[in-house]
Parts: sequence; structure tokens; C-alpha cells
Amino acid sequence: MSHLTIAMPKGRIFEEAYQMLIDAGFNLPEEVEMSRKLLIEIPEEQIRFILAKPMDVPVYVEHGVADIGIAGKDTLLELRRNVHELLDLKISQCYIASAGLPNTTMNEIAPRIATKYPNIAMNYYKEIGEQVEIIELNGSIELAPMIGLADRIVDIVSTGRTLKENGLVEYEHITDVSSRLIANPVSYRMKSARIQELVSRMKNIVG
Amino acid sequence: MSSIKMFEKPLGMRDTFPITYEKTEKVRQIGREFLRARGFDFIQTPSLEYFDTVGKASAIYDASLFKLVDSQGNTLVLRPDMTTPIARVATSKLLKEKIPLRLSYFANVFRAQQSEGGRPAEFGQMGIEIIGDESVFADAEVIITVIHLIQAFGIDSFKITIGHAGVLNCILKDYTESSEQADTLRTLLVERNYVGFEEAVESFDLPITKSNALLQFISEATNFVSIGEIEKYVRKNDSLKYMQQLMELIEVGGLTQYVALDFTLSSHMNYYTGMLFEVFAQGSGFALGNGGRYDGLLQHFGTNVGATGFGIRVDRILEVLPSEPSPDQTVAIIFEEVLFAKALEMAGAYRAEGKRVTLQSLKGLADEKAFTKHFDKVVYVSQEDGAE
Repeated sequence: MSHLTIAMPKGRIFEEAYQMLIDAGFNLPEEVEMSRKLLIEIPEEQIRFILAKPMDVPVYVEHGVADIGIAGKDTLLELRRNVHELLDLKISQCYIASAGLPNTTMNEIAPRIATKYPNIAMNYYKEIGEQVEIIELNGSIELAPMIGLADRIVDIVSTGRTLKENGLVEYEHITDVSSRLIANPVSYRMKSARIQELVSRMKNIVG
Repeated sequence: MSSIKMFEKPLGMRDTFPITYEKTEKVRQIGREFLRARGFDFIQTPSLEYFDTVGKASAIYDASLFKLVDSQGNTLVLRPDMTTPIARVATSKLLKEKIPLRLSYFANVFRAQQSEGGRPAEFGQMGIEIIGDESVFADAEVIITVIHLIQAFGIDSFKITIGHAGVLNCILKDYTESSEQADTLRTLLVERNYVGFEEAVESFDLPITKSNALLQFISEATNFVSIGEIEKYVRKNDSLKYMQQLMELIEVGGLTQYVALDFTLSSHMNYYTGMLFEVFAQGSGFALGNGGRYDGLLQHFGTNVGATGFGIRVDRILEVLPSEPSPDQTVAIIFEEVLFAKALEMAGAYRAEGKRVTLQSLKGLADEKAFTKHFDKVVYVSQEDGAE
């Protein structure tokens, strides 16, 4: 059996995906101590987990230091890495939308969009035929329209509560997002049997 | 004022240090002898080509091209691959002399980086092109050659995945309702987005038999062991028969174990008209190389002959190759000025034994200890004690 390295995002997605692997019959310890650890070895299954920032998972997988990984569709769309997208795990489901102050229209001359996802935002507005200026922020995106930095924001929406609490309304639904199982193209070939087996076991859990 | 520091190189450009240089040279030697023995002639083409000819015809995305302007205002490109320049020279000249042509190359190609590092913008590529032979034997020769070549480098753990544009097109056409749907699915396969493929199939509202067939195809298509398994998805056609023949020829060559079928394999370039393949090896996160039949490219240059070939990346072979210590024996001869003649003579003798000899005057040596530790053997030619 070949050794498998899996890149996982830290936090809630890790826990959910880890539980899915257990449900799929992988012999993993129920409790995994993951305070500050970045590498977890599971010798019984010949699996090693790399714990990474969600945005970095596709990078590890593309460079082949991880064979497979679990990444949000948002990071895949934003980074456009050369990885195989194998399975929709249907966990941490949410969507990307544009939002702004209620009853406003975008500035006609140079509409400004604040976002963590410059590529997704740029592609979306290009496709609907609008030329916009992107302002890249790293967090608290909702601030931007409130203080006049941008006309719209493009961000992840799960319940819509954050938008509401900040007095913003959703304008356009851009795309659905959920966690995906991705694979490095070489690993997908060289460890084909192992990865295929994992995919089909996970597929049964997803239903 | 420029913000570039003196030590910087353009994004993705790398220096080749002696150890890498020697490794590359070894790869070149092995490859060159191997390919020449199989009747391939090496050629070289210019580093610069016109954007309107080679640049536009190349399979490399526009954003990855290095562009320059010549003194007449024409846009030039640094060659982004070797297949396109070879197609140019073959159609304009070489094909008039000999058909079919068997050409090979070992050259650096240039692909601009978008943003991050981690991969070179200039790298060596080695490959072959068989031009003017449309038979399945030419394709079999290409695949057998690439397998033997990789073995010649001493790489054991590798895989070739083969698909066929014709088979895929037939499936996509038969199970969708419009060519737009087929194109959407093909684009998703180029991106290797299997999840997107399934979603798209479901969104098309196809008759249930068609959508089920597509969904089942995508779940099995990367794992076919034999050509027989695809037959239930595709009506009898020439492409399928062609693949059957090709796999039989590979079996005759005794190389079936290195080959896997992948009928989702698709290229963003429409000039890949027939079989196409990718080469993967354990040890690199990226494909070693790829190849296939590209009859459409020759048409672009105005000739109607078939062509097939492969290119593999030298930088990735270096990643995969085990590192070996250099077999060379190095000798430093450090001499006093007046004994130069003796030192010369001694150097000649050592070189005749096949050793790498460095001749260094004691006068010009700043740090003797730091210098001598780089050599297997150090010989002093001095007046007090003679040759040591």
C-alpha cells in the first residue's frame, strides 16, 4: 500500500472531513490532538495529514508535497491551480455573492469592489460586462461599503447574518461553494489505486 | 530609479550551477545517443521566432509568451516550445527532402511566469517528432520510444496515460444535445474538474439514459485497464479501432505495464487530433512531459501531412533522477613560480590518466585551506621538498 499525504484545512472543515474519513471506514484515532501540530502521522493507515491554511491547500497539492487535499471551491476558483477536482464532499456549503448598502447603484465611472477574492470578482464582473476596480482586503470586508471604500463587496455568505448585522444586502449570487477533494495530477496516476479507493469510499458517505 | 537589486534575475530565470550542469549534460548525452541510435536526427531552431507564425500556432497560452519587438516593429517571441518551430521548418524545407521525417531536439524553451516562483521560466526540453507518417505505427513508435528513453535514464517508477481526442469527441457528441454542451464538458475535462463535469451533466436536463451514461463514463474513464471496457460507451468508429491497434502494438513491444488508458484526457489546443498522452513519474509533483498526434498544426503551416511526437522536460527528469556522486577524480597542482615548467609536465601526466587537473600558482592563491578542500588530491610543486 502506498503512503498517502493529505493536506487539510485547519479548523472546522478538518473536523468534519476527519469524521467523514472515519465514517468511510478508515482506521483513525477518534480523538486527534491538534493544538499546534502541523503534521499528523497515522501509521496504521499509512496516511499523513498536513494541516494548512485553507488557501494554501491547493498550493501543497499542486506542487505534489501532498497527494490529495480538501479545499473549498472558493480557493480553487480564486487560485486556479493545476489540480484534479475529484469529489464534492458537500461540507461547509455556502456561496459567493456581491453585497452592498441597500438601494444603491454602483458608481458609473469607476465602480469599486472590495474583496478577498480578486480573481473571482474580476472574472464575474468581466462576464457580466462591467469594468470594475478591485480593492483587495484580507478581512472585515463588510466595512468597505459602510465607510465608502467600495460600492460592493464580493465575499463568502453562509447564513447572511454578518451582512445583515452590518446593514448590507445581497445583490448577486455568484457561485456555490463547498469543500472538494482534490488530487495532484502525478499522484492521481502513480497512486491511482489508493486514491480511487478513497474516493469511492468517500463517495458512499457523501451519498 | 530601478528597484531591482544587483543580484536579481527576471522572474523564473535560474542559474545552472556545476552540479546541475553536469547532471543535465549526462541526460543530454544519454538521450542523444539513445535517439540517434533509433534513427532520429537532431536539429536546432532559433531562440526567437515571429509571434505571427510560431507564437500564434503554439499550444502555449499567450500570457506565457515572452514578447519582444524587432527593429522593423514586428512582434517576436522567445520560442515557448519546440514542436511549433519544427513544424515550421519541416513544412517549409525538410519535408521536400525526405518523408517521413524523424527529428529530435534538446533545447531550452521559454515560458513567462505569471506571479509566483517555484518553477522555471526557461527550461530544457528533449523530444522527437515523426512528421509525414499517419499510420498507427508512428504513434506506437513515439510511445515505445518515450518509455525506453525514460528507462534509459534509469527511472523505474513511471506511467504513460493515453487517450484519444476522437474517442472523447464521439462520446461527448453522442451523449449531449448540442455542440455547446459538448464544448462545456470538454473544457471541464481540460481543467480536470470532474465535480464540475458531473454538475454540468445534471444541469443539462438530458434524457436519463444519456446523463447516466456520461456520469458512469466519468467515474470509470480514468481507470480503464483494457480498451474493451470503453466499448460499451462508444459506437464502433475509426478512433476506437485505432486505439485498439495502438494498444496491441504496445503489447507486442511488451510495455503494457507502463501504460494506462484515460479517455478524459483532453487538450485545450484543437490541433491535437488523435491519440495524446501524458508522462508521469514518481518524485516530481508535475508531469514529466506529454505528446500526441497533432496533424492540425502542420495544416496551420500549409501542409497536409500527419505528425506525432513527444517532449519531456529536462528539469523534471533531474528532479526524478537519483543523485549520484561525480565519478571524476580531481587533482590540484599548486606550484611555485619558478617551477611552472615542472608543474605543466605533471599536469599533463595526471590528465593522461583521466583525472581533472587544476593548475594553480601559490602566488595567486589567497586562501590555501579553503581552496584545497574542494579537491580529492592536492600536489605541491615547491623548491624545498620537491613534488609531494
